[in-house]
Amino acid sequence: MATADGASYAGVDDLDGEEAAEAVERLLFRLADDELVVAERYTEWQVRAPTLESDISLANVAQDELGHARLWYQVLERFGHDETDLIWERDPEDFRHGTLVEQPFADGDWADAVVRGYLYDVAEDERLHALEDSTFAPIRDRVGKVLDEEAYHLEYAESWLERLAGSEDGHERLQDALDRLYPYALTLFEPGDGTTDARIVEMGVRERSLGALRESWHDRVDDYLGSLGLRVPPLEPSERADGHVSPTDLPDHVGREGDHTDHWPALFAEMTGTYEDLGRDHATRIMDDDE
Amino acid sequence: MTMDVEEVKRRAGPREFSPADDLPEEYRTAATRMLEFHANSEIMGAYLERPFIRQSPSLERKLAFSAKVQDEIGHGQLLYRAAESLGIKTREEMLSDLANGDGKFLNCFHYPMTEWEETPMIAFFVDGAAMRRQATLKQSSWEPYAHAMDKVCFEEGFHVKHGESILAELMNGSRKEQRLTQAAFEEWWPRILQFFGPTDDQSTHHDFAADVGLKTMTNDELRTAFLNSYLPKAETYGLEIPDEPRIRQNDDGTWDVVEDDLDWEEFFSIAKNEYEPGLGQINARKEAQAAVEWVREVLDDREAMAAGGHTGQAAD
Repeated sequence: MATADGASYAGVDDLDGEEAAEAVERLLFRLADDELVVAERYTEWQVRAPTLESDISLANVAQDELGHARLWYQVLERFGHDETDLIWERDPEDFRHGTLVEQPFADGDWADAVVRGYLYDVAEDERLHALEDSTFAPIRDRVGKVLDEEAYHLEYAESWLERLAGSEDGHERLQDALDRLYPYALTLFEPGDGTTDARIVEMGVRERSLGALRESWHDRVDDYLGSLGLRVPPLEPSERADGHVSPTDLPDHVGREGDHTDHWPALFAEMTGTYEDLGRDHATRIMDDDE
Repeated sequence: MTMDVEEVKRRAGPREFSPADDLPEEYRTAATRMLEFHANSEIMGAYLERPFIRQSPSLERKLAFSAKVQDEIGHGQLLYRAAESLGIKTREEMLSDLANGDGKFLNCFHYPMTEWEETPMIAFFVDGAAMRRQATLKQSSWEPYAHAMDKVCFEEGFHVKHGESILAELMNGSRKEQRLTQAAFEEWWPRILQFFGPTDDQSTHHDFAADVGLKTMTNDELRTAFLNSYLPKAETYGLEIPDEPRIRQNDDGTWDVVEDDLDWEEFFSIAKNEYEPGLGQINARKEAQAAVEWVREVLDDREAMAAGGHTGQAAD
């Protein structure tokens, strides 16, 4: 939990200077926004899943992710934000989630839900493990709880992959989803600007760079899906010093710098419709704070 | 040897019968009808509320709505299981009847719900009414039904609190919120009064269900209990009770609702699944279920392959 010079940050005030605080804030926005939006899409399967059992299980996953979003947004509140400006009155262009999580599901495309969940959960697993010994205590203190739940999500996704991959129809649908979603999954590892990710690693807030996480992620995904007879697109070793993959491997919109597909503003408008219609100016809290 | 109906009536009491008993078909059919109706209602209630997971105006409300919808699917699962154990219909048959428009469910869930201010009409009033009925079903003579009610009532308590909290927030909000909520209440109030069905002398299934202990209270008793508790609550939150349908409290604490003030033609067309908006909801759900039929086929194939040795992996 320490950098070469042994730094450790108990809270926001201990971060040295504006740039350090901004780097941590950016990392938190990526975490929180990914979780919020992936969960928002998962909830579309409630009352629409293939069986009552899968309906209940997917709702569990969605609520876990919503809970994680809530937890990371609460850390962001320490940077002077509140839920209103973090979610409800934020400009949709200011959201920093990767475009994987904002993609809509086609009707009945359970294979998409399974593949997306798997690609996301492995990425999440890599990312969280690299945060376990974070020098920033508010992150470090929360990673354990999140990791426990993510382990279950991964198991769940794998059990569905195995079941679907065993049938011809299921296999084909999984491969279609994988081909479509893989470029979007790469957005999860795209750094935003050219300097933040290096600063985050240098400060020891996260142990490994996004590029390193991406390589581990790809190897795991390739191994496992390959064992089910699925074809994972190759990942060219990153030659670019800034950590980006080749633009030709990425979708047109990455999301990390606010560059979203049209699906996002549409989804955001649905999410905030009640808040807007009723002219609300605050978001209701009904649960106890974690801290 | 199969118990005869007279013996069932003689022995009828709370949690008296279980799958270990060889019960007559009349009993099993009546219990299946009740359980299937109840389970279907959970599913269609969840269907009605799911858009509000997305439309919730705060992160914690969103979490609560997602959990509520999930609970209701869980209640459906539990109730279908309790129904299946009667040996009359399988869960697949019941779910397929629901999709085809043959399955019956609560009147309130045939109406569309589109606005946030409508949500407490279901989550507070209808769920509150359902709680009344469900609490009495803990005494049902069919043990699996009574047992399911233990869990359902426990969770339903949270739902009603959640609904009450939304109502309180709306009625303490801006004048616009209060006005919209009052309008939603006026629209839903007659439907809520019809929740308990027509007065007892018009109810057809009650006598047998009561005689064999499947039901322990009449529609009129339940309606009275609900009004005694929820009319004051509505007024506490600043809701005005509409002049019509006329309702009057008697000296003994019971209530009379002037039945002619309620639209029974609509009620009975709903009961036959012929009410247009309700039919739209039934069919929209059917389409969503048809879209994932391919997944169920994959699961069925696996199960068929695994059969003859070990059982298939649970489809969760």
